[in-house]
Amino acid sequence: MSSIELDRVSKRFGPVEVISELSLRIESGEFVAFLGASGCGKTTLLRMIAGLETINSGEIRIGGERVDELPPGARGVAMVFQHYALYPHMTIYDNMAFGLKNIGVERAMIDERVRQAAKILEIEPLLARKPGQLSGGQRQRVAIGRALVKDPKAFLFDEPLSNLDAALRIRTRVELARLHQQTRATTIFVTHDQVEAMTLAGRIVVMNARKIEQIGTPMEIYGRPASEFVARFVGSPPMNFLPVTVAGQNGHALLTLPSGAELMTHIGLESLPANEALRLGIRAEAIRLDSDGPLPGKVEVVERLGDRTHVHVRLADDSTLIAEDAGHSRAAPGDAVHLRIDAGQAHLFDAQGRGYRANEEAHR
Amino acid sequence: MTAAAARSTPLSRAATRGARIGPDWRNGLFVVPFLLVYLGMLIYPLFWGMWISLQEYDMFDQSATYAGLVNFKRLFGDAIFLGTVRNTFVFVLMTVPAFVIIGLGLALALNREGRTGATLRAVFFGASVLSVTIVTIIWKIMYLPDIGLLSHILGLFGIAPIPFLTSQSLALPAVAVTTVWWIIGLPMMLFLAALQQIPGELYEAAALDNAGRWRSLRSITLPSITRTFVVVVIYEIVAQFQLFGQALLLTRGGPNNTSRPIVLFIYETGFRDWNLGYAAAASEILFLLMAIAAMAQYIASRRREA
Amino acid sequence: MAQGQRFVGRSVGDRVILGCVILLAVVWLTPIAWVVILSFKSNSELMMTTGSAFRLPYTLKNYSDVLATSGVFHWFLNSVIVASGVTIATLILASLAGYGFARTQFPFRNTIFILVLLGLAIPEQAVIIARHQMFTDWKMHNTYTALILPGLSNAFGVFLMTQYFRSIPRDIDEAAMLDNASRFKVFWRVLLPLTIPAQATLGIFTFLGAWNDYLWPLISATKPEMFTLTIGIASTQTNFAQSEGLGFLMAQAVFAGLPVLIVYLFFQRYIVQAVAGAAIR
Repeated sequence: MSSIELDRVSKRFGPVEVISELSLRIESGEFVAFLGASGCGKTTLLRMIAGLETINSGEIRIGGERVDELPPGARGVAMVFQHYALYPHMTIYDNMAFGLKNIGVERAMIDERVRQAAKILEIEPLLARKPGQLSGGQRQRVAIGRALVKDPKAFLFDEPLSNLDAALRIRTRVELARLHQQTRATTIFVTHDQVEAMTLAGRIVVMNARKIEQIGTPMEIYGRPASEFVARFVGSPPMNFLPVTVAGQNGHALLTLPSGAELMTHIGLESLPANEALRLGIRAEAIRLDSDGPLPGKVEVVERLGDRTHVHVRLADDSTLIAEDAGHSRAAPGDAVHLRIDAGQAHLFDAQGRGYRANEEAHR
Repeated sequence: MTAAAARSTPLSRAATRGARIGPDWRNGLFVVPFLLVYLGMLIYPLFWGMWISLQEYDMFDQSATYAGLVNFKRLFGDAIFLGTVRNTFVFVLMTVPAFVIIGLGLALALNREGRTGATLRAVFFGASVLSVTIVTIIWKIMYLPDIGLLSHILGLFGIAPIPFLTSQSLALPAVAVTTVWWIIGLPMMLFLAALQQIPGELYEAAALDNAGRWRSLRSITLPSITRTFVVVVIYEIVAQFQLFGQALLLTRGGPNNTSRPIVLFIYETGFRDWNLGYAAAASEILFLLMAIAAMAQYIASRRREA
Repeated sequence: MAQGQRFVGRSVGDRVILGCVILLAVVWLTPIAWVVILSFKSNSELMMTTGSAFRLPYTLKNYSDVLATSGVFHWFLNSVIVASGVTIATLILASLAGYGFARTQFPFRNTIFILVLLGLAIPEQAVIIARHQMFTDWKMHNTYTALILPGLSNAFGVFLMTQYFRSIPRDIDEAAMLDNASRFKVFWRVLLPLTIPAQATLGIFTFLGAWNDYLWPLISATKPEMFTLTIGIASTQTNFAQSEGLGFLMAQAVFAGLPVLIVYLFFQRYIVQAVAGAAIR
């Protein structure tokens, strides 16, 4: 297994520079997710590592060796494509053996490796069939098997779960996690689904408009989003945002909400930009229904999920907050309620979208 | 599979074997075999032909002398050649509308599932797989007076046999009828393919809007197939300009040059009289006429669209 | 919804139209039927009048004569050789070129492709005189090469195969590249097998076209032993007016038409698909 390094990599499509001076390091054995919406550049990045896209400047190193001038086959990576890209006219066995045959591995070794991979992925009975005869989930395993067989330095997954139905997606997620524990393989996993990224990755690279917004562990991304984009993208339901005015109290930010209610945070004043309009970001689980709470409002929509309830509340100043209540909540549309916000979990975002947070890990 | 198990990975051997992305002149080698034949058998003769058209050939010793546009000037004054141009235009005007109307009609009528439709379509399309020589044998034995089937049929009505192929006014139309009989299958199939592209929901919506058959035809079907319509017209114009075999074998261009098309003129001038320069010039004019006719039709259709 | 119903169902109007078309189909088949009937009548009878076509007696003599004497067999063989040669060579050249244009990059690729497409606009007549002269200079008339080579310059095959290659998802190429396949291997082992439908289509189209070709073989194959079936049949038509061997002539025509019609009936599906496919493009 190898580390992967991107060193000030740039790429141009014609006159437009799509990726500028991007640097990134992935350690050997890590499971990293590239997370972002379509068009953010995550797939382009993956393809550049695989060698399916050229780069205009910078270096790519795998296992310390420079690979950006090598053809895709020589880089030692294996890729699992979004639509699997299996060879339709070959049997599953031949699909998996093709790569090894091309580099002249002996028949016996090929057989051993194919059968072993098939065993791990539980696709042994399918070896004589053709892709057209397989279900979507089976085809996906074959695609993974094809990668596994090559014993590559790194695995590259391009949105592999997006074509599976919901139930299968969840099952496969768990299997992929198990597979990673077994193989300890360096893995890059591209997805637009933040749940997949959060549950599978050791570190997440959040991308937006072809730039990296933040790199961090799932909990870092979730709890300390570096930008408004990351805060919005990760977490369900999406984070609530309200414009606030900031005053100082004991060196910390005292926020005044549009309704007039005040919130005392632990965010250091010095770290905030002066004279700027800031926005409060607060997640639903930090807002509770409390009859003594300082924020009055009216319930508009109630979403029951079983283990918890999302209550959409319209405040006096016409803005809406999503609050979280217990699963057996009695809230109903039209109810007049009061909300209490846990100031310890408040985030502030400036006009450029940069995020600010209290330094202590409070109330977890 | 533990990482250690196959550390003997031969992946390193791969360094130079796999394909590279990006432009590579060696990829051009895929195209070279075809290009060689293309350049040698099409492009080179094309330009050589233009050169030949500027030569005057001596029919006896086959020597050629550069003569500029002499051949062309002579063609413009050649009554027979001009007659062939007229004949060809008339022929195109006779056949193309027939192809379009009958072809579209058959496609509309036979746009159905089931055996009957398929069999009927096979009948109309089947004629087009026959070679021109077989087709002309068939139609000769239809047209010839006394022995032809048409004569017998006319006889049933008490009408004297009509010498279709030797009548100055009927020879070209006879060739036209044969041609339409022969190749109606192709326009029919092209229209059929276009019709099958029209989503059924459009018709259902129209039915809910109480549109009758004619209305649907006019407002849904015809507008949806305009593109194919243009393609068929241009294709048939180009194809029928090249009329040759039927004319040669049915009427030999007669009587009195009334059914002689341009290509037959080229053939006889070039390969019977061996006046290569003159024939080449005629072929260049044919090329030009075809290009103009196709362009004109294309521009007209564009204008109609806008 | 009575009106909607009338539109979709098996209405009376629908039946009438179908009836007319069936009638038209019968009319369409009549000339062929006429020829077939005449082929079963003796020559001597037909010399007197063809009106006897619908009366007995019928005979198989014409067919036995065709089988015994005329050069039909030899012409048939020539046609098979030429048409097969053109077809196989076209499939090879067009597939290679189609892959090259659709899936690889090389300098000037797009320009060259457009130039090739422009070739579709060039009619045979514009090049035939020069072509004839070329083969005369090489003293290669009356050879199979002369009959096969010109047909390979048709850009239609390249156009068709390029379009078809383009329609295959690119990730298969990429998977193969990651699997260390060379450019040629990607073509030969991965993509080409996926183009079988297009090959069938192109093959049939090319075969029929080459089989029925008239103008070029007419001027290139001037010796009777090199005649293709199409030319050979035409060569016997000159004595038509005398109606000497009318029955024989008819039998010959049937003989020549039968193989093509059989091929047609067998491959009907592909041919229809081919035309439909071309139309959609």
